[in-house]
Amino acid sequence: MSHRVHREGWATRFGLIMAMAGNAVGLGNFLRFPGKAMPYGGAFMVPYLLALCLLGIPLMWMEWTIGRHGGGYGHGSTPGMFDKLWRRRISKYIGIFGILLPAMVGIYYIYIESWALGYAWNTIAGTYWGKTSHGEMAEVFGKYLGIGSGPVTFSAEAYFFFLIAFCLNAVIMSLSISKGIEVVAKYAMPALFILGIILAGRVLTLPSIEGRSVTDGLAQIWRVDDWSVLLSSKVWIAATGQIFFTLSVGLGMVHSYASYLKKREDITLSGLAAVSTNEFVEVILGSTIAIPAAVLFFGVIQTKEIVAGGTFAIGFHALPVIFQQMPAGQFFGTCWFILLFLAGLTSSMAMFTPLLLFLEDELRIPRKKAAVGISVVVFILMQPVVLFMQHGVMDELDYWMGDFFLVVFGALEAVVFAWLFGMDRGWKEMHLGADLQVPGVFYYIMKYVTPVYAVVLVVWSAQDSVLDKLLMKGVAPENVPYLWLARAMILGMTAFLAWGIWHAWRSHPKFFEDTTLPGELP
Amino acid sequence: MTLLSWIYMSVVWTVILAVTGYCFYRIFTKGNNGSGR
Repeated sequence: MSHRVHREGWATRFGLIMAMAGNAVGLGNFLRFPGKAMPYGGAFMVPYLLALCLLGIPLMWMEWTIGRHGGGYGHGSTPGMFDKLWRRRISKYIGIFGILLPAMVGIYYIYIESWALGYAWNTIAGTYWGKTSHGEMAEVFGKYLGIGSGPVTFSAEAYFFFLIAFCLNAVIMSLSISKGIEVVAKYAMPALFILGIILAGRVLTLPSIEGRSVTDGLAQIWRVDDWSVLLSSKVWIAATGQIFFTLSVGLGMVHSYASYLKKREDITLSGLAAVSTNEFVEVILGSTIAIPAAVLFFGVIQTKEIVAGGTFAIGFHALPVIFQQMPAGQFFGTCWFILLFLAGLTSSMAMFTPLLLFLEDELRIPRKKAAVGISVVVFILMQPVVLFMQHGVMDELDYWMGDFFLVVFGALEAVVFAWLFGMDRGWKEMHLGADLQVPGVFYYIMKYVTPVYAVVLVVWSAQDSVLDKLLMKGVAPENVPYLWLARAMILGMTAFLAWGIWHAWRSHPKFFEDTTLPGELP
Repeated sequence: MTLLSWIYMSVVWTVILAVTGYCFYRIFTKGNNGSGR
């Protein structure tokens, strides 16, 4: 008998979908997506939409199915889930990715989320008011983070808001799923929609400036000037990578949320609802705010330069300048940063759930103790990210965890689900209690196209940048030790998880050998 | 924005809104039952 049979689940279906959508909707919807799309124009949307249909939606359904299936056996994280899908010794170790990736992403993501909180406060207080050029705001941002000539990146203000964001995440994590994550998602997601619609409405109704209009900005994302960019693998890697990132597939968080579902609780309609909600926020709201506003105020050429300056330049340097020139700018600026913070929070609160459930389910550590333990360890691991940010610690973690291995795990799970668990069994499992009969064409897409597409993407990504990253090409010599520190953090966490799996399967083998079918547990 | 760009954007937005609307219509008309094992 599983020890988690009586564990509580989602209180409402609306709460579940808001939590799943909130897990997907993040900072990337408003900052990363426009930044990735703009350099390629409307042509970007072709591989983006193809990847959505051929990879994103199928992987979302697979992850919900794997999660509900594993949850029925009492497993809330991917090692146990994969062990039930494919009875080989290696399978549970493949599942390490589903805990490692979200936890390591969470380590830097919460810090980024705290910037939005800090900037919301600074916008209310008007502390950067009067800095009316992009360059001045870039300086303000550097000062906020404490970037200087010394080895340590520190500012008391940024650290204070980081502590608030961290504590908030720790408290939510320590609560049960229905009283913590679900409650926050049920209020934060509608608030996020309202803020997004207010901001999109404001941007779309801005008057022309020096002959430029907001439609010139929309054109940067929707007008196709050059179809030949589709011949480059770069646009395919960028668009497909964005689909993984935005839907939070290939990370392990969806599995953990889905593990709380009952055996015959719908996953096809709910999964599609979570995807379409995310796409509404990303493609409709995300493409309507930052780039159109920036093009209107700065022009196309300068906006392209800003976007090329990195993911955060548009949100933290350019938009604060624009808000200062807008009627009621303080109000809209505050809305923007609260929007970013809520988007970040609804994602980050999912990131430690797989680790928490691994400790709870497999290592049998009580939830409160596990939450405290995770909070302490994560807080310690966050210090290099915060204090050595200017040396590239965050970028190193982001590349390996939030960029490359995310795609690798997505490819592995597609192969395990479609070929090792078997597509026939997977299809049946997916449709247990389904409120939506998935069109038959998706059977073949999930069996053939999704695994092949994901594997091709891994190969493309590897060819594109892995060797250079691995060998630290172009890295300043003084930053090399800091990148090794980031890698040591990844390897340390991997070693701990590998030990945890070995220990758990050795300590209570009967639990893992349980052959009772999901839903039939007494 | 060219006419084709407007059509391109409108089609994509309409599909996303239609799918989202359809999903939530089905979910809300079916009920909002709790989960949990």
